[in-house]
Amino acid sequence: MAAASKQNTDSTVNIPDYEETNVNSKPFHVDSFRNEWLRRLKPGDWSHQHEDEDTFDANFAEDMGVSAETMAELKAVCSVDSLRCHPKDQQPDTDVVPPDPRLSTLIQRKKKQDYRASLKITKNRHDLYADELERLTVGGQPETEEDKLPEGEVILTINVYYPASFAKFNYIRPHTSLLMTGSHTLAELRDAICCVSDLQVLGEFSGTPDMAPDFISKELYKSAFFFFEGVFYNDTRFPECKDMSMTIIEWAKARNFPPYSQAVMEDTRLVDLKLKVGFPYLYCHQGDCEHLVIVTDVRLTHETDCLNKKLYPLLIHKHRISTQKCAVCHVFIGRWLTTKDRLAPSDPCLFCDKCFRMLHYDAEGNKLGDFLAYSFVDRGAFN
Amino acid sequence: MENYREQVKADCEQILGRFQEKDSVRFQVFATIWREMNFSHIFYGAVKREGRAFVRLILDTAYGYFLPPFSFQIRVGGLYLLYSLYQCQTNARRKQIRVALKDWDVVKKFEKDAVDAQHVDAVYILRRLMFLKAFHFTAMPTLLDYQKRRNVVKSTFCENFMDRSSHLPEIINTELLEELSNVHTMYTELKSSVFPPPQQTDSSVDLIHRDMVPQLLSTVKDFYKWRQRKDTRTAEAKDSGEGTSSGQESSKRARLIASIKSKAYGEAAEASKSRRHRQVEVNFSSSEAGPSFKPVYTRINRPSLKARTKDNVHIISKVWKDATGTTNVSRLTSLELDRAEIKSLRENSK
Repeated sequence: MAAASKQNTDSTVNIPDYEETNVNSKPFHVDSFRNEWLRRLKPGDWSHQHEDEDTFDANFAEDMGVSAETMAELKAVCSVDSLRCHPKDQQPDTDVVPPDPRLSTLIQRKKKQDYRASLKITKNRHDLYADELERLTVGGQPETEEDKLPEGEVILTINVYYPASFAKFNYIRPHTSLLMTGSHTLAELRDAICCVSDLQVLGEFSGTPDMAPDFISKELYKSAFFFFEGVFYNDTRFPECKDMSMTIIEWAKARNFPPYSQAVMEDTRLVDLKLKVGFPYLYCHQGDCEHLVIVTDVRLTHETDCLNKKLYPLLIHKHRISTQKCAVCHVFIGRWLTTKDRLAPSDPCLFCDKCFRMLHYDAEGNKLGDFLAYSFVDRGAFN
Repeated sequence: MENYREQVKADCEQILGRFQEKDSVRFQVFATIWREMNFSHIFYGAVKREGRAFVRLILDTAYGYFLPPFSFQIRVGGLYLLYSLYQCQTNARRKQIRVALKDWDVVKKFEKDAVDAQHVDAVYILRRLMFLKAFHFTAMPTLLDYQKRRNVVKSTFCENFMDRSSHLPEIINTELLEELSNVHTMYTELKSSVFPPPQQTDSSVDLIHRDMVPQLLSTVKDFYKWRQRKDTRTAEAKDSGEGTSSGQESSKRARLIASIKSKAYGEAAEASKSRRHRQVEVNFSSSEAGPSFKPVYTRINRPSLKARTKDNVHIISKVWKDATGTTNVSRLTSLELDRAEIKSLRENSK
């Protein structure tokens, strides 16, 4: 095996292997990886069409040189019926753990379920949301042939993490997971990432609360970049876009770091990337809003995947962030943030739109007292 | 799902262990064990999100047994396990088995071996899985998200499942020995050219032991001999049956106690007492015969003091209660024997 890999290093370079076991893989080129798979498999293996049952049997019998009787016997022995653990005529309830289980997994599950039953809260919000999301993403069949996902395409699972806050250590890493096909560009990935820092409205509006402009920072500051394996992929779709990576590259050059290069985000498809699976990379936008991006999985498409091309990038996991409520009513999500406010219990303080206006303005809309008001977008805006 | 990992592994190892005992690679045999263990029930009670995550976990675990370094029989068992799990999962939408690119050649080799050995059912199951489109062709066998485990549990795959014969030749072969002796001779030559002759005898500057190569060789040979002897012995023991070889009262008694204990403490006792006893015997005789293998120092992860205390107190008090119970009743009849029994029981429990 070792000798073989030495002989043709070219072809094995793109067979991903662990760099660190169970943590991340070595870098590989996504498209070459796909070709390696396609080279190894028969077209029928990755096609979304099913082979005919009888053809399969006939092929197998011929291949192995077994007679028809043996084949029939083999089919009977290997059928699903031979694995059935309950009488044929009664269907067991698969939603409950069977009584007095002997498998240790079931013993554990029973213990957990008994514990959960003893709790007051029986419903898990996250479970509900996850099921809802699953319903939305399941089996999207394309309407036209054009929208159909091509066979032999790669699907990448990409986790985008929220900017880390180290004030409070938590084992939960809030993130969203996206499914993307190899033909997507990085710019499409960028557009699929929702972050509240894109929605902020800048400026102080205590004098004119109704005049808060519609310009959100997404439209004002359009520069962004991804960083994968020593290459900065810059967004250059709009004339306003600045090259944010140059500063870093020059800084790194001055300090004897390995050289970094640049590329264009919208021209780079995901299959063109060279990356490590499971390794954290960077997405940076709005100047300093930094997200970790981890590609957790690369694989060929399967017939059970959502085959409608239009539905990609497909959201498969979303973290529900708890929202910050108005300091007055504790019902609605905060919309305004005030500072230097004599009327507020704290500095800064959050208000919903209604409470903010009732407290800070009279009937004619005149400002009461001195304060500074800023528009506020909650972190849970995308829930 | 993390907290099911141990249990799932234990269950998989149990079913594969029973399959191994049967000494067969037939699917029929596997299916019988499956039904006996009611293994389909493993999916029951896990619904919706939990169910999906659980199927992922158990398929990933079972996939591990389908690959080397396990013996061919276990790998066939692993394949059957994958097939059965895939077929029996209760989710509306089936989860696929993830097969990594780097493992594909191994899978193909396995298929070829099975074809050559005319294991028709194994080949049929594998092709059937392909036909059912039960595989995801992936880059890595599991989803990776850069989670570094804090207390890394070393994957303690069941030793019995390993293909043992192949390990040693991989590490020590003739090439390595030649290389070693070459380096050694070259080094001695160099050294003798540098130092004046009288200093050459100074052993403190030796690179390796003077006769390391022959020593290594003889050790390996000894190990092989010992292994062979052990294998034939266990084979003999199997032939003669469990009953006859343990004719002595003591071993019978030990087994009895072991069985009681295993009943009392669930699955904590792994190998039956008689086995352990016999193994020790073999080790002893082999260490007399020559090869001196010092056990490699391995770090044992002990549970916390609290856990240990809880365990110990629990066991002792239980035994103590039983023991006092019997003594109170039977003190009038036979005092001596009972005392001895209690003592042995207590020792065993420790």
